Amino acid sequence: MTQGRTRLYHLLLWVIALIFFSPILWIALASFKTKDQILATPPLFVFPPTLANYTDFFSRQNVGEYFVNSFLISIVAVLIAILVSFLASYCFSRFQPRGTSFMMFILLSIRMVPAAATVVPIFLMYSAFSWKDSWPALVLFYAMFSIPFSVWILKGFIDGVSRRYDETALVNGGSRLHVMFKVVLPQVRPGLIAAFIFNLIFVWNEFLVNFIIGGKTTTMIPTALMIGVANNLGTDWTFVATLTTLYILPPIIAIFFFQKYLLVGMTFGTVRGEV
Amino acid sequence: MNAIELQGISKSYRRKHILQNVDLQIQAGTFTVIFGGPGSGKSVLQRLIVGLEKPDSGRVLLRGEDATRVIPSERNIGYIPQSFALYPHYSVFDNIAYPLTLAGSQRDKIRPAVERTAELLKITHLLEKKPDQLSGGEKQRVAIARGIVKNTEIFIFDDPLTGLDFKLREQLFDDFRRLRETLGATFIYTTSDALETLIMADEIAVLAEGRITEHGSTRDVFDHPQHAWTMRSLGFPESTLFEGSLHSAGSGYECHTRLFDFAVDLTSAGQPPAEVVVGIRPQDLSVNESLAPNWLSTPATIILQEDLGGELVLYLEKDSFSFESVLPHRKDHLLNGDDVVVHVDPQKLVIFDPESGFRIGQGRV
Repeated sequence: MTQGRTRLYHLLLWVIALIFFSPILWIALASFKTKDQILATPPLFVFPPTLANYTDFFSRQNVGEYFVNSFLISIVAVLIAILVSFLASYCFSRFQPRGTSFMMFILLSIRMVPAAATVVPIFLMYSAFSWKDSWPALVLFYAMFSIPFSVWILKGFIDGVSRRYDETALVNGGSRLHVMFKVVLPQVRPGLIAAFIFNLIFVWNEFLVNFIIGGKTTTMIPTALMIGVANNLGTDWTFVATLTTLYILPPIIAIFFFQKYLLVGMTFGTVRGEV
Repeated sequence: MNAIELQGISKSYRRKHILQNVDLQIQAGTFTVIFGGPGSGKSVLQRLIVGLEKPDSGRVLLRGEDATRVIPSERNIGYIPQSFALYPHYSVFDNIAYPLTLAGSQRDKIRPAVERTAELLKITHLLEKKPDQLSGGEKQRVAIARGIVKNTEIFIFDDPLTGLDFKLREQLFDDFRRLRETLGATFIYTTSDALETLIMADEIAVLAEGRITEHGSTRDVFDHPQHAWTMRSLGFPESTLFEGSLHSAGSGYECHTRLFDFAVDLTSAGQPPAEVVVGIRPQDLSVNESLAPNWLSTPATIILQEDLGGELVLYLEKDSFSFESVLPHRKDHLLNGDDVVVHVDPQKLVIFDPESGFRIGQGRV
C-alpha cells in the first residue's frame, strides 16, 4: 500500500472506532453534567463540568456494597472456575477419557444456550434449595458459568505443552500433582490469565441471573443500574451516568492491559501466538 | 549380570500390535543401541523400561528384580526423552538440578553434583541462562545433563540427536563416548540412524515389526546380519537386495539371480523356499578388479559417480537393475557410461527368506 492509502485506511479505522466509542463518551461526559445539560439538544460537548453527581452518588446508601459484591463475586467465582477448569483440562488433554471431544462439545453448548432459556429452571432450583440471595450460591453459579470457556482455553494451552515434560517429571520422581502445578501450570500461565480476564468480564457484565436469583445482599452493579434507573421523578439520568461510568472503568482498564489475552479467549485458545 | 531384562513383552495400541513377544537382555555396563526404523516400536520399548507404559503381557526386570508394576519414579533410571523437554521457567542450573531437587537432596549437595555434570558436558558457562537462550545443541546437552545427574547406573536415551545438524551430532557423539567412559553405566540408546548406531554401540538390538530380529555385538550384527532389513539399513550406502531363485544342483543348491549365479551354503536344514532375497554390501563389490580366481563377475554400466574424496560411490546398472558399489579412491578414471565388470566374493552374498526376512544361508566358493 502506498503511504497515502495507508493513511486513509488508518483514518477510516479511527472514524469507525470513534463511532463505536461515542455512546461511552456520551455517558462519561454525562456524569459530569447536570440533568438539564444531559437532556439538551444538540448534545453539549463544551460545558462547565460538575462533580455534584459523584458526591451525590457516594452519599447514597449501598452503592459501595454493589461494587464490593461485583468485585468479590466475580473474582472468587472465576478463581474457582479456573482451578476446576485447569484440573479438568489437564485430564481431558492427558488422559483423554472416552468421549472427550463430545464432552468438550457439550460444555461449549451449555455456555451457548441463551441465558433466558435457563433462567427459569435455575430460579426454580435456587428457590427450592432456598439459595436465593445467597453469596456462596451465586458464586457457585458464576463459577459454573465460567467453566466452559476456561476449559476450552486451557485445554488448548495444555495440549500445547509436550507430554515429555510430564514424563520427565514422573521419571524423576514427581507426583501427578507436582506435574500439574509445578511443571504444566507455569507453562500455561498466559492461558490462565486469558481465561481469568475473559470470564471476569463476562461475570462482571452479567445481569439476568443476578437479577433473578440475587437479592438485597448480593446485588451487583448491573442490577443496581436497572433498579436505580427509575426514581419517582422519572429516569434518574445523573445516577445512571455516574454509575455506568464507574462500572465500565474496571473492564476498560483490564482490556487495555490484557488485550492480547482477550484474543485468546475469543478464539477458544486456538490463537496463542501473541501471548 | 543383566541390568535390564524383558521377558515376552507385548504391547498394542488400538488393536495395533506395536511389540510382539519381545525378549531382550541387556548386560550391565554395555552401550546398547536399539536400532529400528520409524514406527518400529523403539520408543515404546524404552517407555516400557522407564515405566511410562505398562506391557499388555510380559515382565520387565531391572537389576534382576521384577519391576513390571513399579512406578517410573521408583525405577531409578536416567531418562533423556526425544524432545528436550527443558522447563522454560527454570534456569539451566535448576533444570539440571531438577531430579535431585525432586529427590529431596540437600542444596549443598546439589550444587557440586550439577557443576560436575555441567563440566562433563562443557556447559558450565550456561548454568545461569534460561532454556530459550540456548541453541539446539546446548539444549540437548542440558537435557542430557539432567538425565545423567541422577545417582543411577541405567541411562536411557530416546533418539536424542534427531533434528540436530551434522556437526552438532558429531560433537555429541564425543560426549556420549566420554560419558560412557566416565560413568561406566548401562546405556540404552534408540535411533533409526545407522551411523549413530555403528559409532556408538557395543551391542546392537535390531527392532523390526515389533520384534527383536537380532541382538549381538556391533561387529557381529554388521558382519553377519540375520535379517534382510538389518543388512539393508545398517550401512552406507544401504545394501542392495535383489531376488533370486534356488535350484538344486547335485547335493546342494544353486542360486540364480539377475547379477550372479552361485552355489549356496544353507544354514538351516529342511526345504528352502524356491524364491529368495539376496543381499550384498556395496563395499563388497569391486569394479574391474578380481582379488581371487573364484570370485564371481558380471558386466554393468556406470550411470553416475559420487566422489567422496576418500572413496568413490558408483551407481551401476545391469539390464535396468540399478545397484551401488563403493570403491577406495583410484587412479584410473572411470567415466559415466563406461562398461565395467563387477566382481564379488561369493561368500559375501547373503541369502534371506523372502517371507520372514531371516537369513537362510550365503554364497559358497
